[in-house]
Amino acid sequence: MSAGGPGGEAASVETANQVDAKGIGIGLVGIYIAAIAADADIPYLIFLAGIGAVFATKMGADAVRRVCSYGIGTGVPSIGMLALGMGLISAMFGLAFGAMIGVSYVGPIVGLVLAIAIGFVVGTLANKIIKLNIPVMERCLMEIAGAGVLVLTGLSVMIAGSMDFVVISEKVITTGYIAPVFILGALGILHPFNASLGPDETQDRTMVHALSCGAIAMMIGGVCSIAVIDPVAGIISTVIGLAIWYVTFMGFVKLVKRDAGAGWVGTGLLPPGAM
Amino acid sequence: MSDITIVGMLMDNLPSIIGIIIGGICIAVGVHFVPVGGAPAAMAQATGIGTGTVQLAAGSGLTGLLAAGYMYMTLSAAGTPGITEIVLICATGAVGAMIMITVTMLVGNWVYIYGVGVPPASAKRDYDPITGDPQAPYVAPGTVGQGIPTVCFVSGAIGGLLGGLGGSLIYCMLMWVNGDPAISSIFAIGVFLVNAVLPSYNIQGTIEGFHDPKFKRLPKAILACFIASLLCGIIAVTIPSVAMLTGGS
Repeated sequence: MSAGGPGGEAASVETANQVDAKGIGIGLVGIYIAAIAADADIPYLIFLAGIGAVFATKMGADAVRRVCSYGIGTGVPSIGMLALGMGLISAMFGLAFGAMIGVSYVGPIVGLVLAIAIGFVVGTLANKIIKLNIPVMERCLMEIAGAGVLVLTGLSVMIAGSMDFVVISEKVITTGYIAPVFILGALGILHPFNASLGPDETQDRTMVHALSCGAIAMMIGGVCSIAVIDPVAGIISTVIGLAIWYVTFMGFVKLVKRDAGAGWVGTGLLPPGAM
Repeated sequence: MSDITIVGMLMDNLPSIIGIIIGGICIAVGVHFVPVGGAPAAMAQATGIGTGTVQLAAGSGLTGLLAAGYMYMTLSAAGTPGITEIVLICATGAVGAMIMITVTMLVGNWVYIYGVGVPPASAKRDYDPITGDPQAPYVAPGTVGQGIPTVCFVSGAIGGLLGGLGGSLIYCMLMWVNGDPAISSIFAIGVFLVNAVLPSYNIQGTIEGFHDPKFKRLPKAILACFIASLLCGIIAVTIPSVAMLTGGS
């Protein structure tokens, strides 16, 4: 429920392309380095998959921010859930596809491509059939679904310490750790804009909030991986997650203080049909 | 491992894809029945349950999934479930989701009536279509109704039924394909969420039930969810189980 009603394109300092490039780039690189290192019996680098997931969270949160500033009418959480719904299907297919053809390393990329395709279809359905008529809908849903895949794959790789579908299935899905991964990943994507929305919303504040939410997911993922793989690697991930959370959360508090002194901004009246 | 091909799996699992599509459409229709009030209802300024569609759909769907999963486990002890068992499993899931949504509406109504102090009334109709009670005198000025009147309650129960039915049907279909409860349930949740969010855009976040004028938008959501479920179904049935990948252990 966007308090400002149907708004327009959100003002951005960092452009969408920059955020996407960082999200996809750091996300994939982190996941791959972590998985390759873990396969080479160096599990201590798996925290990199978590860092990839943190940046993917930021990419998802930025897309949520841009699409939801048009006022989608259903509340911001719905789009985060949609992201992880599409992301989950694509991520699992990608990893399973990798296992089917016997090359597990193609998993995240197949998942990402598939998620972008599903995001495009769902965005087109929302715009053309349901007639939401939000110009950035297709692009944002592609980004959100892609972020969902990277977050899920990143955290799953971090917990399981492998990119193999069989190992992830055994260590993340069957153990039930997929549930915290799913909901924390969704929270990282949907919560920052949901908490910061309003006429005085600023991109840097929302983004730093997204990083801190992603760091919480990384921290919990680290705790889960203590029980599943090498305890030392799990503790490294947890501590790094905690450090990222502390730094970003302090940054968030600083930006909140900065924005709180800006005076009031008029919201306008609720649009007809908002009630 | 090499004999698992995507085309082969698609052909073998055509009934499962159809089942997933039917399940997705059931969820889409179910979302339109649930009285979702959103933030205005949370402040007792609109009729319905005071939260978003997705939270309600996910809540009832997951409860239904739990019920269906338990029933599946019990029934599959005798062998792979056939059509009769699947009907029973879907009925269990539907009842589980109905229990969740009706309890939410009942307790929500207690809060509205005894806590906030408002009479449940709908502003969309002058008379309740089920009980015939006049609504207009009880709608507080400046609001569009409050609480969950009888017609919304009945509509919500139907919505829970359809949501639970759809969720359990998708779960059963996936169990047919890969036989792994963990993968099937997490995948059913993914398909469920996609099919719950698209209709919620169709109703723009709030609806009172089948008596609401927005209910007439239903065909658009059915079409959108048909396409989305088809896509999800095709992807879902190509995911093999771990047992198939490791050579059937």
